[in-house]
Amino acid sequence: MRPGGRWILLAVWVVALAAIGAFVAQRLRVSTDLRSFMPAPTTPDQRLLMEQVGEGPGSRLLLLAIAGKSDEQLAALSQQLATSLRKDERYSQVLNGSFDIGSLDEQLLPYRYLLSPTFDAQPMDAPFLRDQLEQRLEDLSSPAAGLLKGLLPRDPTLEVLKLAERWTPPKSPDVREGVWFSPQNEALLLVQTRAAGFDPDAQGVAIDGIRKAFAALPEHEGATLKLSGPGYFSVVANAQTRGQAEWIGRISTVGFIVLLLLAYRSIGSLLLSALPIASAALAGIAALIVLFPQVHGITLAFGFTLLGVAQEYPIRVLSHRRAGENALQSVRDLWPLLLTAIASACIAYLAFYASGVNGLKQLAVFTITGLLVAGFSTRYLLAHLLPGRVHDVAGMGWLVRARRGVDALPRPRWIPVLVAVVTVLMLVFARGAFWQNDLSALTPLPQDLLREDARLREALGAPDVRYLLVMEAHDEQGVLALSERLQPTVDALVARHAVDAVELPSRYVPSEAVQRMRQQRLPDRAALERALSEAGQGMPFQAGLFAPFIDDVQKARALPPLTEERFAMSPLGQRVSAMLMPRGDHWVGLGTLSGVHDVAALQALAQGGNGAVRLLDLKETAESMVVDYRTRILHALLAATLLLVVAITVALRSVRRAWHVLAPMTLATFLVLAAERVAGVEVSLFHLVALILAAGLGLHYALFFERDTGDAAEQRRTLHATLVCVLSALLVFGMLAWSSIPVLRAIGLTVSLGVAFHFCLSILMAPHARQD
Amino acid sequence: MKMLDQPLVVSGELSWLGGDRLERRVEHPNREVSTIADGEVSQEREGREPRRFSLKRAPQLQILLDSFVAMLGGDATRLEQAFTIQYSGDDARRWTLALTPRDPKLVRTVSRIEIDGAGNEPHCMRMQEADGDLAVDLLGPLAAKMPATPTRDALAALCRGG
Repeated sequence: MRPGGRWILLAVWVVALAAIGAFVAQRLRVSTDLRSFMPAPTTPDQRLLMEQVGEGPGSRLLLLAIAGKSDEQLAALSQQLATSLRKDERYSQVLNGSFDIGSLDEQLLPYRYLLSPTFDAQPMDAPFLRDQLEQRLEDLSSPAAGLLKGLLPRDPTLEVLKLAERWTPPKSPDVREGVWFSPQNEALLLVQTRAAGFDPDAQGVAIDGIRKAFAALPEHEGATLKLSGPGYFSVVANAQTRGQAEWIGRISTVGFIVLLLLAYRSIGSLLLSALPIASAALAGIAALIVLFPQVHGITLAFGFTLLGVAQEYPIRVLSHRRAGENALQSVRDLWPLLLTAIASACIAYLAFYASGVNGLKQLAVFTITGLLVAGFSTRYLLAHLLPGRVHDVAGMGWLVRARRGVDALPRPRWIPVLVAVVTVLMLVFARGAFWQNDLSALTPLPQDLLREDARLREALGAPDVRYLLVMEAHDEQGVLALSERLQPTVDALVARHAVDAVELPSRYVPSEAVQRMRQQRLPDRAALERALSEAGQGMPFQAGLFAPFIDDVQKARALPPLTEERFAMSPLGQRVSAMLMPRGDHWVGLGTLSGVHDVAALQALAQGGNGAVRLLDLKETAESMVVDYRTRILHALLAATLLLVVAITVALRSVRRAWHVLAPMTLATFLVLAAERVAGVEVSLFHLVALILAAGLGLHYALFFERDTGDAAEQRRTLHATLVCVLSALLVFGMLAWSSIPVLRAIGLTVSLGVAFHFCLSILMAPHARQD
Repeated sequence: MKMLDQPLVVSGELSWLGGDRLERRVEHPNREVSTIADGEVSQEREGREPRRFSLKRAPQLQILLDSFVAMLGGDATRLEQAFTIQYSGDDARRWTLALTPRDPKLVRTVSRIEIDGAGNEPHCMRMQEADGDLAVDLLGPLAAKMPATPTRDALAALCRGG
């Protein structure tokens, strides 16, 4: 190409990149909801789990502890913080223990006669009222007088207190100075965010809001605010992952540039070879924007890592330049092999697409688009731009010696057999579980953070997060009726200590049928007045004192039954809507359990419910999801492997040559697995992803080593290119292996080991080069 | 009491169990034992479920506790901390202590307490609640002199005269 044409091509390429860049900058919407990287739920239980994990009340709960001052000051801070957060749109509920009668608002107060079970067994008649009035008289002369005096005219039977007692969480923390306190003298608060728990960005905003509100309190100095809960964890994990990925990325980028400068001694070549990678990244993101409404942050992070493979294409071209030959000619010689490499990497990444997980699908689209763009732009664009005169690496002294050393290595035929036997033995004798099924084991959180969370959870009496009682019926009333039918059995279980406490939705809202039944049992005005005057005979209560009581009972008789919808507006409403929700064509009720001692008894309870009631084990469900997920990935991998064998065999037109490429790759992959197993690593999904990436790299090494050009100089160039690739991969992934974050470490360690094993095995198992 | 046509009369024993603990044992008209201990009030009545509540929810009791414990324990500093004190007495044998809670929140429920006594013995404790209700405790030997249908004036006279 003429020099002028070369500049025009470069300008067009850069302008096109800028245009795609502008499109990306304008349209890219990054989501951070970690759930799109979790397996797609297939069973109803798994769907429920995913909802609970992301949107469930438990996952949106932040636990706050204020410490460092006197009880009195802490209580004041707790009250001020609660007041300020309650005004904020971002929080749907703020509890600090100053829970009292006020939680039933004025308008709902007459509903107490429909919500309380007092009159189910006992009519509101003269003997009952008499007994109640006698008790109230005793109360007035007792220490509780001040407490009850205000309630008396409106509520002589103390229904409000009975409801408050009924609604108090089964285990609640100490109340001092009117607010919750932990045994460690911290004021405790529970804040429910509107944002989903596993959306770190939205949680970050919510947490920021809490910190700002705390910092704005006049007397906050000297007190510390501690946070915990799933939302906080997702923020910490996100920040840590991002922080580590950033500094690791920076160091490896610098190292990578230095490596390439040393290898090719040309700044121009280095800059030009960055173009295919930049094109790959931009094209990949553009494809994601076109195909998906939102692009996941993790897709981008992992995607750029996986695109590291694409860096090989320009490296191969640079290393295989011959003195006096123009770049186009070198690329043409190399292209069939490069195309095979690109195609096989694409096939491997196709396995991600088949996994059915949204995040991994995005990853597949991004990497496959990226690899194709990088490969084709290297072949059809970069080749025209590279400078005509180059430094031929084949003549370098150290490379000649290295190649001679490599060629001189003994390559006995028994090596693959020996490696295979050792791998099998290692896999067989490795101890511990093979698969890591527990998603939480991958959490990057420090242990003391988790311990702190457990301590606060215990202090706040938050319910067991492992089990849920699930009730299903075709409508809201059906669920409530079911929950009411279940109540006596559940009470019996609590009495038998099978479980410490169970909270069913009907504890807050009785079914309409029950409310109507209670309404009908309430006396009319005349009857109540009569009963009350009969009951009050000879008692010192002033005439007309109980008029507000009579009014409330009459109001209760005429009220429309309280529904979840109407209840949702009261402070307790959040709690109810968390326990009762529509799902598609039916409704689901959730019962929370505290202190489960006898799982079998609870399961038996569920079995008695004709399938309408069941015990959901969230941990088991999560694990079953991981197992399903892995099975699908493994199937997809198997299919990809078969496809790969066919593709390589067709491309090389020889089964024997395909064997020379595929055997070292397969052996090395299993060797990595075996080495990690022996080291006690339990294999997680991230290890699988990393193994695929390493296999993709290994396949390239094997392909190029297998290529027999009969030209010693060309063999040296191959070694040079492969060495640069191996070193750059080791640099990037070796750095990741030092990370303290389990996911990054899993990927870094697996790929580094993989690259090393693939390199060694593909050298040792390559066919002998012909001597000069 | 405003809600009632006649005053309520109960009799029993009030004992200081040491520290911040008081026990109130009612014998008549119904048996009832209340204890204040560790910031919690518990109330037990024959044939009923015991009732418990935090002392924080009953400011009157906090005041009762403060004044009683301080007086019985002879802890003048504590009394000073919780109340502004007015002392008046004809002579050393007869005196009246008027206590006004310092805490503005408490004053809203209990406006003042007057304790009448002679020598080392308190005889009578009158708690004036902010809503106009009055609670009078006749202590020691005076308790036996409680009339069947007392009036405020009669009790006041009894307290001063006892």
